[in-house]
Amino acid sequence: GDALLPAPQNISILSTNMKHFLTWSPVIVQGETVRYSVEFQGEYEREYANESWIPICECSLITATVCNITEDISATVAYNLRVRADVGARRSEWGALKGFFNRITTSLTPPLMKVIADGYHLLVELEDMGPAFQFCVLYWKKGQESRMQQKVVKEVSSAVHLDTMEAGPDYCVKAQTYVEAINRNSSFSQTQCVRAQGGRSVWL
Amino acid sequence: SGELYCSLPNPRNVHFESINMKNVLHWSAPEGTGDGVLYKVKYSVYGVGKWIRKPECRNINRTWCDLSSETSDYEEQYYASVKAFLNGMCSDWMETTRFNPLTDTKIDPPMLSVSSTEKSISIILTAPEKWKRSPEGEAVSLLQVYPGLQYNVSVLNKKTKKRWFFSISNNTLVVPWLEPGTAYCVSAQIYVTTPLLHSGFSKEYCIATLKEKMA
Amino acid sequence: TAGNKIFHFGPCRISMSMTEIRSSFTAIKANIQARDPIRTLSILSHPHSLHKVKSSDRCCITHHLFNFYVDKVFKHCKTEDSYVNRKISSIANSFLSVKRKLEQCHKQNKCMCGQESAEKFKQILANYEGLNVIAAAIKSLGELDILLNWME
Repeated sequence: GDALLPAPQNISILSTNMKHFLTWSPVIVQGETVRYSVEFQGEYEREYANESWIPICECSLITATVCNITEDISATVAYNLRVRADVGARRSEWGALKGFFNRITTSLTPPLMKVIADGYHLLVELEDMGPAFQFCVLYWKKGQESRMQQKVVKEVSSAVHLDTMEAGPDYCVKAQTYVEAINRNSSFSQTQCVRAQGGRSVWL
Repeated sequence: SGELYCSLPNPRNVHFESINMKNVLHWSAPEGTGDGVLYKVKYSVYGVGKWIRKPECRNINRTWCDLSSETSDYEEQYYASVKAFLNGMCSDWMETTRFNPLTDTKIDPPMLSVSSTEKSISIILTAPEKWKRSPEGEAVSLLQVYPGLQYNVSVLNKKTKKRWFFSISNNTLVVPWLEPGTAYCVSAQIYVTTPLLHSGFSKEYCIATLKEKMA
Repeated sequence: TAGNKIFHFGPCRISMSMTEIRSSFTAIKANIQARDPIRTLSILSHPHSLHKVKSSDRCCITHHLFNFYVDKVFKHCKTEDSYVNRKISSIANSFLSVKRKLEQCHKQNKCMCGQESAEKFKQILANYEGLNVIAAAIKSLGELDILLNWME
């Protein structure tokens, strides 16, 4: 029969490293394909635009139970999100995310990092995490933690030159990400140490 | 303005091409018209009420017009427009989109000067100059136009094929502790964060460190 | 640590990420400006350019302008294009976030308003009210790069 279609449940956000995904539990209707549509509402819409909602066209009438909302969560304010189901002409009520989502709560993971000694030169290779990310790289001569140096890295297309090394002592490096839009840092990566050896990389 | 009967097809793709704020208006000839088409050009400062004719681009048969002088104030924004004439007929005025010199110009790569010693190479970078009215005119570096300008420098060790990357704000870079008698190739790019602009990478300048002096 | 972009308006210091506002605006600039046929009038830059504002008045003018865009402009910019609407929402929510910070400065008397900023803003409102509300809102949105260039 034409029982009312239940609204999607267990609506939640998965947000890591400024990539935000809305997920929900599937609505089960035997023998039917259920489709879902997602809308968002920022603080501006709530307070200045009659609480209007904005559809995300990439997540209109989709069969998946996940939607990438990263492009639309592009301000550091509180957002509402909602999902509804459609089967043929039948349509459910909106299921809403409990509470707001603000991207400032995204979880930031330490960056993948590889430290290289190329002759007497200390270099670091960092994972490209997207335009929102910069990297704060700290490096020091082992045992001289008090004389730690810092370099902010924005371009990670190839090995970034940190400094020249004296032959002999170990040089250690660790890095954290920095997201300007939310003014937050990740925790630091594992420390990696290398030593200059006349042009050959030596891992310790 | 006593224009003729305007049923000639319109000039197409009327747009500014800007490099280092040398702002040149370009367009394509109207569809299906052979030789003999002439053009005239006008421009206006956005927000100001009048169109201004460009006398040097009146009745021209080329399909470009240098408006650098007229659009040199990069705190303003501009429109330009072109009209075609052929055998007593004319086209409509065809306009550009709004042109903002500060954000819409392209920037050339920096110029490089590279020297070497036995164990180091020194790189001096020079940002291109903003377009100027005459060779004698005062040179204005794009560094003055874009205070946040930075350089990304790439150094390739030809022996190990390893490429290093430097990001610097000043215009000199010395890379010490290199291998004697080794070839290094350097190229650089300009990077501006506000507004977001970057040049391509310059062509590579290769130089070898001097051979080690025998003791 | 690497600082967010810190804007100094005299005693008022505000961290703002302009990169996202600029990229959202750049994505819709041609579309929005094409909807504004009026070449002969500007909301922000004529007859008086923002660049002529004294530095002591910059905070107040910026505060007024962010209020102006949030309160008056964005709500009248709805288009038939869903992509453009989403980018406008992104800009509007970013502006709201900055407006809040400017309000803090204002409450702490760090964003004083002088005669000149009052005059300048009055001129901007007069330009705005000289057009019908939709045309004025679209024109103001199309001039966002004038505001961003001046701020940066």
